Amino acid sequence: MTMPDPSNHFKIQLQNVKQRFRRIHGHARSVRGALIWLAESAAIVEDFYALKGVSFTVRPGETLGIIGRNGSGKSTILKIIAAIFPPTAGTVEVNGRVSPLIELGAGFHPDLTGRENVILAGVLLGFTQRQMEERFDGIIAFAELEDFTDTPVRQYATGMFARLGFAVATEIDPDILLVDEVLAVGDESFQHKCLERINQFRRQGKTIVFVSHEMPLVQSICNRVLLLDEGRIVTEGPPDDVIARYRRLIQEVEGRSARQR
Amino acid sequence: MLELFRDIYRYRELIWILALKELKVRYKRSTLGFLWALLHPLLMTVVYVIIFSYILRFGIEKYPVFLLSVMFPWTFFQQSLMYAVVSIVSNAPLLKKVYVPKVVFPLASVLANLMNFLLSLIPLAFILWVLDFPFHLTWLYLPVPLLGLLLFTLGCGFIVATINVFFRDIGHILEIALRAYFFFCPVIYDLIHVDPRLHLLFRWNPLLYTLNGFRLAIYHGKLPSIESAFTSIGSGLVVLIIGYALFRRYQNNFAIHV
Repeated sequence: MTMPDPSNHFKIQLQNVKQRFRRIHGHARSVRGALIWLAESAAIVEDFYALKGVSFTVRPGETLGIIGRNGSGKSTILKIIAAIFPPTAGTVEVNGRVSPLIELGAGFHPDLTGRENVILAGVLLGFTQRQMEERFDGIIAFAELEDFTDTPVRQYATGMFARLGFAVATEIDPDILLVDEVLAVGDESFQHKCLERINQFRRQGKTIVFVSHEMPLVQSICNRVLLLDEGRIVTEGPPDDVIARYRRLIQEVEGRSARQR
Repeated sequence: MLELFRDIYRYRELIWILALKELKVRYKRSTLGFLWALLHPLLMTVVYVIIFSYILRFGIEKYPVFLLSVMFPWTFFQQSLMYAVVSIVSNAPLLKKVYVPKVVFPLASVLANLMNFLLSLIPLAFILWVLDFPFHLTWLYLPVPLLGLLLFTLGCGFIVATINVFFRDIGHILEIALRAYFFFCPVIYDLIHVDPRLHLLFRWNPLLYTLNGFRLAIYHGKLPSIESAFTSIGSGLVVLIIGYALFRRYQNNFAIHV
């Protein structure tokens, strides 16, 4: 008899998650600002909530899309799932290895070679040096950088840099893939390749959280979509319905600002 | 505190690779590369010796050895802090994108400089040999002041790295503070050259005991008193506990503010 595995119920669960950011006006990170800050701290510090109580669950094998206007809190959710910072309030539970937010080569050092950066990035993600060396050929093959492994990445073209970043993030075999507008970078053939890899992840039954402004893409790869606005979930459900709701929301906002003028 | 040692053990490979990266990046684009780790202290020595043996004379016998026995530990302390202070801030793109244990960055900065310091013992030994200065048996005592120095440096490193996230001016302040502190520490002089009325003040400096340990062992061939040795390690430990507590208290906010 096998014990029921609690992680089977969900891969990601957020419960009433709130995220407060503190906006500091002026130069409070300098001496002058510090003096002002001491004098009237409340006046220049402004709190705002990027997330105002968000709850949702992602089940294994699901591809969840998150859509919404700029500043609606999409990226903040991804960062909280990736444990980049803990939420101000609420609970987050994640079962499985999370890929980094694939923002293409964050943490690559320009003076280090492609090889050195791949190893470093992998070790930062919790792998050993040896495990990364085993994966190295696969990463380089996917990124198509066989001739540039010993070139400092500062000499890479932007596309090469992006390819290497995507290759590292996906080749480390995450259970949960977080994708934040990754496909906006790179040429069309690379975009196809990324998409192909994302589809491959889906076929393998991995869990994906996908943030994008490209509705056709969201429609084609997501099982379920969350619409976020001003830090709250407006609606969630099948892609068609939620995308339609999103379009109406955009029209309402545009209408409102037109009337104000 | 136990937490810190557990983290060091758990992330040992990461810390090691980051420290190597720091050294690589430091030397990579120079023609002489790693040789600079040896050349830098050697050339600095030449400068100090010219200044203090020919221009400013203190009348201390074998002054180069007197100076260098403490100068290299001091350089380790100073360089470590200058690297540690930016260790979190300079990794901002990474911290914003990936979960990484923050504690590894100041540790790697200090480790990279520790390797540099250990390498600088080679030119030091070379200079002793050139000057025909005896290698005292008390060299074997050096791990003790080194431990004190390491604890103190790590503690200060955690403090400045944390402050820098919220208050960027600390980099400039630190540079000036270190320069002032340099003259407050008995590096180019000895405590006996200081006005006795000020001794009480100078004795409040925790680094005094650590640096003295290096000088006694290398230059004088003596061991410090038990109290002095304990003060060196004890004060280092206290600073580390404070620094690490501060770092832990704020590390969850680093990715937001950095």
